[in-house]
Amino acid sequence: MMKILQRSGLAAMLILLGTMTALAEPQSYSLKVDGLACPFCAFGIEKQLSKIDGVGDLKTDVKAGVVRLTMKDGSLLDKAEAKQAVDRAGFTLRGIEKVRNAPQQAGESQ
Amino acid sequence: MMSRLFICLALISWASVGRSAPITFNTALPVAQSEFVARAQLIVNQSGSDPSGLARDRTAWAEISVLGYGVTSDLALFGVVPYVNRDLNLDMGTGPVNRHASGLGDIKLFGRYTIYKNNFSGGNFRVAPFAGLKLPTGDDNRGDGLGRLPAVVQPGSGSWDPFGGVVMTYQTLAFQIDAEASYQANSTARGFAFGDVSRLDGSFQYRLWPRTLGSGVPGFLYGVMEVNLIHQNKNRTNGITDQNSGGTRLFLVPGLQYVTRRWIIETSIQLPVIQDLNGLALRNDYIARAGFRFNF
Repeated sequence: MMKILQRSGLAAMLILLGTMTALAEPQSYSLKVDGLACPFCAFGIEKQLSKIDGVGDLKTDVKAGVVRLTMKDGSLLDKAEAKQAVDRAGFTLRGIEKVRNAPQQAGESQ
Repeated sequence: MMSRLFICLALISWASVGRSAPITFNTALPVAQSEFVARAQLIVNQSGSDPSGLARDRTAWAEISVLGYGVTSDLALFGVVPYVNRDLNLDMGTGPVNRHASGLGDIKLFGRYTIYKNNFSGGNFRVAPFAGLKLPTGDDNRGDGLGRLPAVVQPGSGSWDPFGGVVMTYQTLAFQIDAEASYQANSTARGFAFGDVSRLDGSFQYRLWPRTLGSGVPGFLYGVMEVNLIHQNKNRTNGITDQNSGGTRLFLVPGLQYVTRRWIIETSIQLPVIQDLNGLALRNDYIARAGFRFNF
């Protein structure tokens, strides 16, 4: 009985540790932006996205129309905020994909 | 006699702020909300083909600074501040004469609102009307040893002149097309009024380099070809129409533009293809431009 309890406890600790590690790992997202067609436009979008709390690194691929966004440790991207930021730059957010594995949150997207 | 000179004021008092965009007129591309973009342009307007026999030769330099602010992504406000340097050389039969003035020109303020936009993958299409006012900030009463300078040499017009129009932009990764129609109603100051100016402008910008797009945000080198069709009504002095002013001009404008994330450098030359001018109005030789834009 004690062995079963010990094993269960160990398993729970491992799961918790894994979850904490995943939460602490920087989360990356791929934002598909419609309307993006020149380098000057890319800066405007990046600047608006950089105003979102927790946003760390931003990299744009003009050809793909994609902005790769990495959050600072422990932060998650709110889809509504991302959409608003892209709107403020004058463009349209078509979708967000999470690039690295992370727990699904209510504010995240598809 | 000086009032016979025809001057395309609009050409040296108008500049756009935006993304990769036309060099000689505005664009419908957005200014991001709560952000500024700036532009500076040096313009040399040379006119020396004189049918009057007075050997008139006019050189006008203008340094134009433009600041744009995005109130929202659809509504942008612009301020255009010109510093001008104008020289008119002529021979009135008693030897060569130079008339000169320089200083702050007439500031323009205007707003542009996007009424239609379609953002799609790798491109967008926008339509944006604009309206504004040219303010009489430039001195319009300069003189020299020969008396008061003619209106075309004065740094300012002295008049409050409303203007408006509509601009549309179709932009893809490979090319961009812009078109604009505009009108400026010039009012009277000190008894003189420049003729109203109507314009139709078109611009085609084609990405020359990189030929094949890789990843990231490379700088784009655009080849630019623009067309300006400009009609100016005749000037009026104390209610009397100057028959040797105004007319229609068609310019072809080849240019180059290099666009990065933060800045743009560009140059172009406006070459007159058609100059259907009234009477003895002075003909344009060329208008050369060089400038840069900056994303704050």
